[in-house]
Amino acid sequence: MKKITSIILLLLATTTLFGQAKKPTIMVVPSDQYCISRGYTLVFDNMGSKVTLPDYKKALQSDLDLKLVISKMSGIMADRGFPLKDLEQELKNLESQSAELAMMTSKTSGAGIAESPIDALKRTAKADIIMDLSFEVKRQGPLRYITFVLNGLDAYTSKNIASASGAGKPSSAVQTEILLEEAVLSYMDEFNGRLMAFFEDAFAKGREVKIRIQMFQGMDFDLESEYNGKELSEAIEDWMAANTVQGRFSLQDATENFMQFEQVRIPMVNDKGRAIDTRTWLRDLQKHLKDAPYNIESKLYMRGLGEAWLILGEK
Amino acid sequence: MKIKLLLLATTLTMGITLQAQSKKEIKAYYGSQYNVEIMTLGVGNDGTKLFKVYGYGKSVDEATFEAKRNAISAAIFKGIPAGGGAAPTPPLTTDPNAEVTHKDFFDEFFKPGGKFLQYVNLSNDGTAGGSDRVKMKKGYKVGVVVSINHTALRKYLEDSGVIRRLDSGF
Repeated sequence: MKKITSIILLLLATTTLFGQAKKPTIMVVPSDQYCISRGYTLVFDNMGSKVTLPDYKKALQSDLDLKLVISKMSGIMADRGFPLKDLEQELKNLESQSAELAMMTSKTSGAGIAESPIDALKRTAKADIIMDLSFEVKRQGPLRYITFVLNGLDAYTSKNIASASGAGKPSSAVQTEILLEEAVLSYMDEFNGRLMAFFEDAFAKGREVKIRIQMFQGMDFDLESEYNGKELSEAIEDWMAANTVQGRFSLQDATENFMQFEQVRIPMVNDKGRAIDTRTWLRDLQKHLKDAPYNIESKLYMRGLGEAWLILGEK
Repeated sequence: MKIKLLLLATTLTMGITLQAQSKKEIKAYYGSQYNVEIMTLGVGNDGTKLFKVYGYGKSVDEATFEAKRNAISAAIFKGIPAGGGAAPTPPLTTDPNAEVTHKDFFDEFFKPGGKFLQYVNLSNDGTAGGSDRVKMKKGYKVGVVVSINHTALRKYLEDSGVIRRLDSGF
């Protein structure tokens, strides 16, 4: 009887843990190649050199094929429990948000909204996983077929976590819209299969994130300063080894001023069963460094679900 | 001379035994649910997939029934290969021992007249002929074109707790 109760409790605990991990947001974004090859571009002069950037707004407003493909993909993903963030809607929201922020004042003193240049810079359309999409209707004599490339990119590690690509069956009888729909249906199962493997890997080995340690200018210490006979960078590495899943992380690069950690595996939930992201996880290091013998103040900067920076020296 | 003859006879006997054993193995090999003969023909709307699949049986009907079961079995355990302009579809289960872990469920699901029949439709039921119907020593090998409702099958398995949802854990 005790055994049965233990098993039930264990199962419940597992379900609770799994039920609380932070869900990544996913957005379909037309690839740079797709936008630039069709002339959906923004060109500006960057100190004498011409820079061409994709104009997503223009692409979404004028390309019906693109909208059809995104709509079909959104339907499939919503059905799988991952409603996609809509890029067009996100761009509209950001525009109206900027206008509202600029106009808003307090009732009593008339003060405007506090906004640093970083805050303004952060107001961009973003998601944790980008579905980078390219497709093209090609011809082979009288036949038409679709080439389709879909890459799932982790926005923080820049890793390609899922992909599906190929060419469809040539046809002369079917409309292009049907061919596009068929292409989405053909490739989404393969894509989702890989996405599933990525999520299973994250639950087994932890979420893969990126951490950066930086120094504010003019501090009287750096990452080579010694505390109890150990350099600060070494103490940070020790903390990382103790707090990552199975001690998995790699120090990509380091000087006395910065440390760049990649492939850092953080748990999906903490000891209390609460879902955590990189910022929540790194806050423990912030607290650790605030204690003796370090007594270091630091600023915790979030770059999204999967990346955070800790800037040492001041808040 | 006698010894030579004896050696020759022994070698021949061994050869026959080995051959018989390998034939047995081949039979078992084709009976495995992991080795379904399947050829993708295309994808359809609303999560349907069209492919040609083969079944073996003492009669044509029996072979056709086995082909239907093989179609669903492939979708769940093996995955559907690429073809007909469609990308490969991974197996619905990511657990390599799913058939053992959920043995009771699958025994019930795949029994004659079981629920698996809800998710498979024949496009040429009862008309397998020509090269799609091969008379063998002890029965028939039949190839049929089937369409399976892959999305509905996945949802049923997810709801039954046999496979994980893509968003499970979040």
